[in-house]
Amino acid sequence: MTRYLLLLSQAMKAMTAFKLRLVFCSLSVALGIAAVTIIVAATEGAHHRAITMVERFGPDSVLILGGSEESRAVGRREHTLTLGDAEVIREAFPTAYLVVAMSSVGDTPVSYRAQKHRTRIIGSTHDYSRAWSWPVEQGSDISQADVQGSRNVALVGQQLRNTLFKDEEPIGKYLLVGRIPVQVVGVLSERGASGGGHNLDDRLIMPLSTVMKKLLNERTYVSAIRVRFFHTRHLDRQVEELRNFLRLRHNLPEGLPDDFRIISPGEIIRFLVAFTGSLVVFIGVAGITCLVVAGFVLANLFLLSVKERVGEIGIRRSVGARRLDIRFQFLGEAVFITSAGGVLGLGLGVLLSYVLSHWMDFPVHFSWKAFVVGMILSWIVGVLSGLQPANRAAVLAPVEAIRS
Amino acid sequence: MPLCIMREIRKTYVAGTLQVEVLKGIDLDVERGEFVAIMGASGSGKSTLMNLLGCLDVPTSGTYVLNGQEVSSLTDDELSVVRNEHVGFVFQSFHLISYATVLENVLLPSLYSRKRLRQPRERAMELLRMVGLEHRVRFTPAQLSGGEQQRTATARALMNDPDLLLADEPTGQLDSKTSAEIMALLEHLSQRGKTVLVVTHDPNVAAYASRVIRIEDGIIQPVQRL
Repeated sequence: MTRYLLLLSQAMKAMTAFKLRLVFCSLSVALGIAAVTIIVAATEGAHHRAITMVERFGPDSVLILGGSEESRAVGRREHTLTLGDAEVIREAFPTAYLVVAMSSVGDTPVSYRAQKHRTRIIGSTHDYSRAWSWPVEQGSDISQADVQGSRNVALVGQQLRNTLFKDEEPIGKYLLVGRIPVQVVGVLSERGASGGGHNLDDRLIMPLSTVMKKLLNERTYVSAIRVRFFHTRHLDRQVEELRNFLRLRHNLPEGLPDDFRIISPGEIIRFLVAFTGSLVVFIGVAGITCLVVAGFVLANLFLLSVKERVGEIGIRRSVGARRLDIRFQFLGEAVFITSAGGVLGLGLGVLLSYVLSHWMDFPVHFSWKAFVVGMILSWIVGVLSGLQPANRAAVLAPVEAIRS
Repeated sequence: MPLCIMREIRKTYVAGTLQVEVLKGIDLDVERGEFVAIMGASGSGKSTLMNLLGCLDVPTSGTYVLNGQEVSSLTDDELSVVRNEHVGFVFQSFHLISYATVLENVLLPSLYSRKRLRQPRERAMELLRMVGLEHRVRFTPAQLSGGEQQRTATARALMNDPDLLLADEPTGQLDSKTSAEIMALLEHLSQRGKTVLVVTHDPNVAAYASRVIRIEDGIIQPVQRL
């Protein structure tokens, strides 16, 4: 055992003795490992973001949006969902504990004194906080009485509160939505950016009845219905039942596409996987290419190094090193060098990941996994590329080696 | 029993279809504690003989018994162990590892040893004191003079306390003054009971030995006292 430790210390010495070899080999490995680190971080990042998004969205929830997928894609909003739809879903699905309709108006001017801002207005039934698992930080949620009476009250998001009120206490203050004065009753806690990248805290929540009557001049149609189920286990099946139910209610014959879209936690995860997937593939191909090239560079430099060090091999053989000892030392050198490259690559990968996440809102997350994958890959490259040169060194006849 | 017993040793090198017989039947005994010089012109086969004596190579035919062990048919690994435990080499061009310090070079044989020395560093330091290099311990070979390098190599050869110390033209790259120093060192070791075998073409070097063996064209010449 000590023998191998001693041999490893020799390998370590030799690694640092041949500096140029160390620099070139570890750099080429580092690039590959950096790419792999980014991949692992991105995959984990996507996973984590998916989990937090699903957590926020509600793992037991789905959101039904009006309009077909095709029309949404081209930015056209069709009104297909009604208050009545929400009503019958509530009656038809006892497995759901919450069914709320909602409407939204994008890009609406709001102002408080001299502060002006354009924001998104959400019309909701009472208990917005409960429907979205979004705690009210200050004040209170919209009440049932607020909705029945179409009162001019509102919840504000953190971002909006900061823009309009600065350091002022917002509860009880009146702000103008369009030309309508609205009293602030509560402030939502901070939530951050969504998967698509826009800020969720820049919004104003008002009673659905108020938004429909006073802002949209609308009686029947709503933009979305949110449904929360008691059990998350059979969510996919429940989503399917919901879809069939709505198709039936909307009188859609076989062959015609849905005129609504159901967003479920599963769908959110699929979206995020697709979002990071293409980049992961690209970086993955680059990373593997890097590692293969690094392997060849390494193997060649090692072969060169073995040729240069025939004399040293002869010396070691003459004092009693066995073939195995020589092989072990050279293989050790290769693995040490690639490990150095691996560590360098991890550092580089972490750095690049942060740049990526900063510029492109690319989700990254680091854990021991990136480290383990990076190190194991660098060892594999080390062993594979070091094997042949190490064998070459080991089979040299001592007499031949010492003569050179 | 003599330390080295060679009987009818032949060594033939094959290069393509060409066969060159370098050693043509060597019979040689070396007693323990002897100081022997092997002399001969270049191409006489003296280096080949030394490689065989040191177990760096195996003969084509014949028997060689070193320290009571028949070594001419051992495997590569077994020969390595014999070299490690029984033979110490001193080469003409020193053959030190350039990126290792003097101390590390001396310690080298102990790395490959099956028997674990209890305090290899102390042993190495003791040897370095003996060859007068205790002040050069942390130097690298490139920072040493030729004589100092050869003394380092000698200390390394003694590290595992070998039965046989083989020196191949140990003074070949040294001036006459340092040559004398190295030879005095070998003589000192011989006086302390070490079996020393020097391969040389230099009569001044051979003069230190108690016995001179002349080899010519692969055959040992009849003994002649100087």
